[in-house]
Amino acid sequence: MTAEPAPAVAARRPLLTWRNALFALAGAALIAFPLLRPGDQYHQTVLILIFVLGVMATGWNVIAGFTGYVSLGQSAFLGLGAYTVGLLVHKVHVSPFLLAPLGGVVAAVMAVLLGSTIMRNRGHAYVIITIAFLFLMQAIGLNASGFTGGSDGITLPLPPWGLGVGNAPFYYALLALMLLSTLMTWWIRRTKFGMGLVAIREDEDKAAAIGVRTSVYKVLATVASGVLIGVAGGIYAYFLSFIDPRGMFDILVSVQIVLAALLGGLGTIWGPVLGAFLVVPMNEVTNGVAAAQGVHLFVFGLVLVAVVMFLPRGLIPTVRGWVEARRKSTVAFERRQSVPRVVELSAPRMRAGADPAPGPGGRPLLEVDGLVKRFGGLTAVDGCSFSVAEGSLTGLIGPNGSGKTTVFNLVSGMMRPNQGSVRLGGEAIEKLQPWDRAYRGLGRTFQSTRLFPKLTVMENVVAPLKRFEWALLPADAVSGREARRAMELLDFVGLADFGPQPAWQLSFGQKKLVELAQLLMLEPRLILLDEPAGGINPGLIERISDTIRALNKQGLTFVIVEHNMPMVLELCDAMLVMANGRVIAEGSPDAIQSDRKVLDAYLGEDWNAEAAAEGARP
Amino acid sequence: MTLLVQTILLGLLIGGVYALFASGLTLVFGVMGIVNVAHPAFLVLAGLFTYELWSRLGIDPLLLTLVTTPVMFAVGWLVYKGLVARVRSSATSMSVVLTFGLAIALEGAMGMTWKNVFRSVTPVYFNQSFHVGALVLPKAQVFGCAASAVVLFLLYLLLTRTWMGRAIRSASENPEGAHLVGIDIGTVSAFTFAIGIATAGVGGSVMSILYPIFPASQYVWISRTLGIIVLGGMGSLPGAVLGALVLGVAETLTATYVSTQWSVVVFYVVILVVLLVKPEGLMGARMRKDVVA
Repeated sequence: MTAEPAPAVAARRPLLTWRNALFALAGAALIAFPLLRPGDQYHQTVLILIFVLGVMATGWNVIAGFTGYVSLGQSAFLGLGAYTVGLLVHKVHVSPFLLAPLGGVVAAVMAVLLGSTIMRNRGHAYVIITIAFLFLMQAIGLNASGFTGGSDGITLPLPPWGLGVGNAPFYYALLALMLLSTLMTWWIRRTKFGMGLVAIREDEDKAAAIGVRTSVYKVLATVASGVLIGVAGGIYAYFLSFIDPRGMFDILVSVQIVLAALLGGLGTIWGPVLGAFLVVPMNEVTNGVAAAQGVHLFVFGLVLVAVVMFLPRGLIPTVRGWVEARRKSTVAFERRQSVPRVVELSAPRMRAGADPAPGPGGRPLLEVDGLVKRFGGLTAVDGCSFSVAEGSLTGLIGPNGSGKTTVFNLVSGMMRPNQGSVRLGGEAIEKLQPWDRAYRGLGRTFQSTRLFPKLTVMENVVAPLKRFEWALLPADAVSGREARRAMELLDFVGLADFGPQPAWQLSFGQKKLVELAQLLMLEPRLILLDEPAGGINPGLIERISDTIRALNKQGLTFVIVEHNMPMVLELCDAMLVMANGRVIAEGSPDAIQSDRKVLDAYLGEDWNAEAAAEGARP
Repeated sequence: MTLLVQTILLGLLIGGVYALFASGLTLVFGVMGIVNVAHPAFLVLAGLFTYELWSRLGIDPLLLTLVTTPVMFAVGWLVYKGLVARVRSSATSMSVVLTFGLAIALEGAMGMTWKNVFRSVTPVYFNQSFHVGALVLPKAQVFGCAASAVVLFLLYLLLTRTWMGRAIRSASENPEGAHLVGIDIGTVSAFTFAIGIATAGVGGSVMSILYPIFPASQYVWISRTLGIIVLGGMGSLPGAVLGALVLGVAETLTATYVSTQWSVVVFYVVILVVLLVKPEGLMGARMRKDVVA
């Protein structure tokens, strides 16, 4: 899947380009069509179907393209809007056009219910839920015949205007709705909300860890994907003047939605609309040619399979890729400085009011008490207790499988403990969601770095959110102030030149540094580093140590899981040693090295060999 | 009272057959994380294939499983190698869309071949019953349930007692680790997928006796099998059996005491409620990667 670059980061384009001229021309042609060819009902109808599919595919794009949650029941929103209008119009005698927005309201309410079911679930569950939802709506439509008219369907009043007007009002209303829907996706993509959705698509756990309140985002994305389809459904019902459950809650309409969005380009702004312009005519042709209905389905299924196999990115990104390859406009970043500059380290100022390094022995910032985590029969963490002093650099070591990373997962909220408590600054946080812990100043890195690969380095660094505010959702994805701050932080880790580069192009060590810069955006009090020196070139290790030290001087507390003993013993001022899921020893680095229990459990075997190998990883 | 016992008994027999229909779906999800939306289409395909052979040759449909099963195994292998394997590296959402496209294309192909007409396989016993006291047990239902039990038992033996079974289970728990100890993930995946579709071979033959079959009946089966594996816990084979029995009984109870129209709604409601309240289902363990806080 492809993401459009966030517009705020891209350079401003001039207003008069070939692209814009083309759009203006296409728009003018669509607006003029019913006026120039008022008698051409067939093509007007085809265009109306295109607009309806365009609205649906654009909506689907928000949930599937941006958020990565595939829905196979998207057409249910069309049916909900259609039935809302179809049922109401016989009770309140006003124009269905005025009732259509209520179709949107009903679709939105149902979307909230639908979205709520994925607050705790992942993509595969959403596929199933949406199929079930669509069939449930159809079944209610068919079975609750007293309310919905059952399989006989509902007839809507005929339009009051004269025959000369034809379908023009439907045409313009649905064209406007398609443009509105496209405008909405464009706007979403450039907001904080949209960036959060893309972050969820790329790596949902990571998104939660940096303060994206994923549950709310997912519900809102479902609503955004459905609301305009509901409105379109109302108008579409009026246009059809007859609706029935099988036609309105049709999974084959979902097939067309998926195909249109994929064909045009998933995650792009105009892709779904382009797809609708291709799929509806294809539908007309196969429906006309094929006497047996099977041919129609066969062609659609086959084309969908072919698009997934051979054109997974869709037309717009593929063509754009060709154009860019021809222009050779991409800068060869390899030639740029790939090892960070070694500059005088002055860490950028962190959270206002943080005490400058009280050092070890300060009051406890993180207190872990009696933590237990079981995976089936395996107890990975078994009564783990320790505390981390504010301002300290605490090393957490132990043999592989001793439960270090699981402790990190429990502290950061990726997992819930079976027992035990976690307190941050005196407040119990073990029941909080990952983002709530991030808001309280807890940040973590991952053993294998987890940047959002398709976002740029700059977008990665500005993605974290220090708090959740509804008012923040529609804000620009990257504000000027945030961009400046991000540059400052990137400069601090020596990667200021890499802002516009996609994150997947970075080396492993560079990713670690960007991930650190990303965390600093949260202005955390406590950072959990999972193997900061693991798998990176030795030249960078010194650089990373210096960076950590400089941040610690500003008052930032660190807990570091690391297998590189010389580094961690030299860097840290307090040590915790884990074995078999609990802390077996703690103290200064010197004291740890001579502790019998530690030598027995761990250093006894590894440390000597390691000392001999002078810092090689075990 | 007799009606209640009769209803529950019938529900259990139906559930037993449902377990067979859903087993391949949950197996493939458990090992590969793919919701194979096309699984019910393969069930219907095997059913129509059974119909074709039965109407031409007059061989008993349950005996025909010896033909349909290997054929569907081969189909599964080819579909995996030709289609599924090629998109597995991209986002899992793409493989769902792929199987969705496949389901639609299969329905179309079946419509072109067999037309949209209801087909039923009617061996002599299809409308006969066993009578136990006041209870009536339709023979076809009992035979279908027995076939299901045999297949599920063989599947259980395969997974627990053979090298391939261990390879499948290790690949489902930890693909990287399995690869490290020398398991060829590509072959194991192809084998699993083929086994999954092969169960649809038996399932389709059984289905052809018990239910009228036509291409679009795949949608009913999509709902039923998905409901079963969601309730049981996605990826869990014992869960699928339990989910199938529970839903078989729930469906017959609804059909008897409410109405047949609403009985299929049970499955939709179960899917929505289970995923909202207890996403891991009855017997599914929440995997590490599934945990959303």
